[in-house]
Amino acid sequence: MAVKHFEAEVRREPKGAVLDLRGEINGFAQGTLDAAYAEAEKENPGAILLNFEGVDYINSTGIALIVGLLARARATKRDLSAYGLSEHYVEIFNITRLSDFMGVFPDEESALYGTVVK
Amino acid sequence: MSAPTNGFRRTLAELSVPSEPGNERRAMEEVAGTVGGLGLPERTMERLKTAVAEATMNAMEHGNHYRREAPVLIEVTATEAELSVKITDEGTGPAAFDPETPDLEAKLEGAQTPRGWGLFLIKSMVDDMNVTGDERHHTVELILHLDGREEENDGRKAL
Repeated sequence: MAVKHFEAEVRREPKGAVLDLRGEINGFAQGTLDAAYAEAEKENPGAILLNFEGVDYINSTGIALIVGLLARARATKRDLSAYGLSEHYVEIFNITRLSDFMGVFPDEESALYGTVVK
Repeated sequence: MSAPTNGFRRTLAELSVPSEPGNERRAMEEVAGTVGGLGLPERTMERLKTAVAEATMNAMEHGNHYRREAPVLIEVTATEAELSVKITDEGTGPAAFDPETPDLEAKLEGAQTPRGWGLFLIKSMVDDMNVTGDERHHTVELILHLDGREEENDGRKAL
């Protein structure tokens, strides 16, 4: 099976930088994800939002990559949030306790202005 | 596909997956296709897929060291009461899982590696897990209890 490509693009919004993620978050995603996060940090935004709407698979290595981003965000006192996760991955963010350390929202609007998903 | 009659274990599939990075997705989709007729709730199916993917990835990485010629073998069987997925690699000794319970706070502080979520995810996604092995193989068996599974849609399974 061909390994699906992973892509990440940075968008600037008034309330922070948005990382639009697409594809599979596994070990192959590390370089692209780290580079995109570094790009998002460049203008020193107060918050970075991870948009998972285009992500259809996250494995345990992908969870580790997200933990790494969260550690970077905390070290620089930046808010890191997530939105657009499927119900299954919201559950995984809950059981790994990622959702205790980062906001998990259903969509971009609520991530910027609204209510956390639990 | 209907659930097997009570008391009899039926083999639903025997699969072989080459040990190549990314093939855990192939394994999980093939297992999902195999059990598609059992009427599992969507949430249970997603949990099973994650457990199969993680166990297969562990088998390919630590058991078979990503040697393509060393396949991961997957046997799916069911009785009326339970679904079993056995995932076997060619490793020796005990199956290699990170024995450390992941602690996110410790990971964020650098006291634990960010990795090490595989076994935790597997255990969280299925009802039971058995690990067996001999001089030539490791087998991880994932078990879902099928009785009363439809009720799970109304609430979270105890973790």
